[in-house]
Amino acid sequence: MALRLATRRFAAPLVLRRGMATTIEHTKGEPLSTVSEMTSGTSTPEPASKSTPIKDPSPSQQAKMKTFQIYRWNPDEPTAKPKMQKYSLDLNKTGPMMLDALIRIKNEVDPTLTFRRSCREGICGSCAMNIDGVNTLACLCRIPTEPGKESRIYPLPHTYVVKDLVPDLTQFYKQYKSIKPYLQRDTPPPDGRENRQTKTDRAKLDGLYECILCACCSTSCPSYWWNSEEYLGPAVLLQSYRWIADSRDEKTAQRKDALNNSMSLYRCHTILNCSRTCPKGLNPALAIAEIKKGLAFSG
Amino acid sequence: MASALRSPLLRQSLPTFRPQQLPRIQRAVLSTTQARRILPPLPQKIEGNVNDPARVPDPEPGHGSYHWTAERVGSVALIPMTIAPFAAGSLNPMLDGALIGLVLIHSHLGFDSVITDYAPKWRVPKSRRFLNIARNLALVVVGWGWYEFETNDVGLTEGIKRVWTA
Repeated sequence: MALRLATRRFAAPLVLRRGMATTIEHTKGEPLSTVSEMTSGTSTPEPASKSTPIKDPSPSQQAKMKTFQIYRWNPDEPTAKPKMQKYSLDLNKTGPMMLDALIRIKNEVDPTLTFRRSCREGICGSCAMNIDGVNTLACLCRIPTEPGKESRIYPLPHTYVVKDLVPDLTQFYKQYKSIKPYLQRDTPPPDGRENRQTKTDRAKLDGLYECILCACCSTSCPSYWWNSEEYLGPAVLLQSYRWIADSRDEKTAQRKDALNNSMSLYRCHTILNCSRTCPKGLNPALAIAEIKKGLAFSG
Repeated sequence: MASALRSPLLRQSLPTFRPQQLPRIQRAVLSTTQARRILPPLPQKIEGNVNDPARVPDPEPGHGSYHWTAERVGSVALIPMTIAPFAAGSLNPMLDGALIGLVLIHSHLGFDSVITDYAPKWRVPKSRRFLNIARNLALVVVGWGWYEFETNDVGLTEGIKRVWTA
């Protein structure tokens, strides 16, 4: 106990301290600018040509080598610039997907590589990252096998980076919470047991309920890059529409009112990056258009 | 360096180090060169607790749905209004005036969207105010200019026709 108190008392100054993922507690009157560059790897990474490539530990006889350039940034060394690290793997010993390659690198080559992953089948949304310029889930992205082609892997664009490929999605989750993503009803169901829905009403939720909130679409949206503080972004708007379209929900008017301002919804300029990038094949732009249509004709 | 300061042993041997006393020179050592950019991203700031929902703005249909509907109606109305005077060949000053009015409203709303996009109120409140004043001023000046052109000169449609055949 005494030791814990002591370590807390003599803790490193806030500038040098970095928590798990999210908050910089600047309650002690410290200007935020002091922590600016230490906490986010926003500068351009050093090119891969400057790094020493790390080779596959056990390539086979007819090795099918493939080089990966992976974004590295370590919060423990806040002064170091982010860099691109090269790894070459023998594809004969690696699974078919990008996530398999990442897991193999972490297991056999470089245990310091950090990324989120969980289900490895595209249902959890943890392994969202930018692979060869496209936001996608690493577990749903095949490794391109053309010889000589290098793959570049970055964290989701325009996010605060926690470490390596791990983005900070705090604001995304806060925005998700702000749309009240749950059924809101004042009246109990008529039979006192469950809130029933016709098949056609249920069909309206297809293409909406499948969203796994991987944030691929939101972080691919230029409008969200500029205004992520106020604009909700495609993923959260799709979720919002999922509840607006739900026949069982009784707070539709309030939900619409919450979006009826200049920032939350109308910063969507139909750029359509969201629909192009969605790894689940959903169409957030269509959902946003439906919300706009609903608002335009109901006042 | 940070990892060295994190070790508990070293921490106990160090004197209490309050952030307010952080000397300027140390910041200089820690910072790296950064390219100058327009409105670079600020360091991350979490409003309230991480588990608090993001703030929901009050409903303002004037800046939301009405604004959007006006934009679309204006854009759609511009199409026949642009074609009509040339197709019909009529030089009705009222039609001319309506076309100019629509163009003015269309660009006014368009610039509003641009300003809202690129000059966020929470970030650059003064620039936002200035840009909005400039936008309104431009509306008045351009509107007055068109009025002069319509009343004392040939008018929009005839002007374009002359430039086209010049």
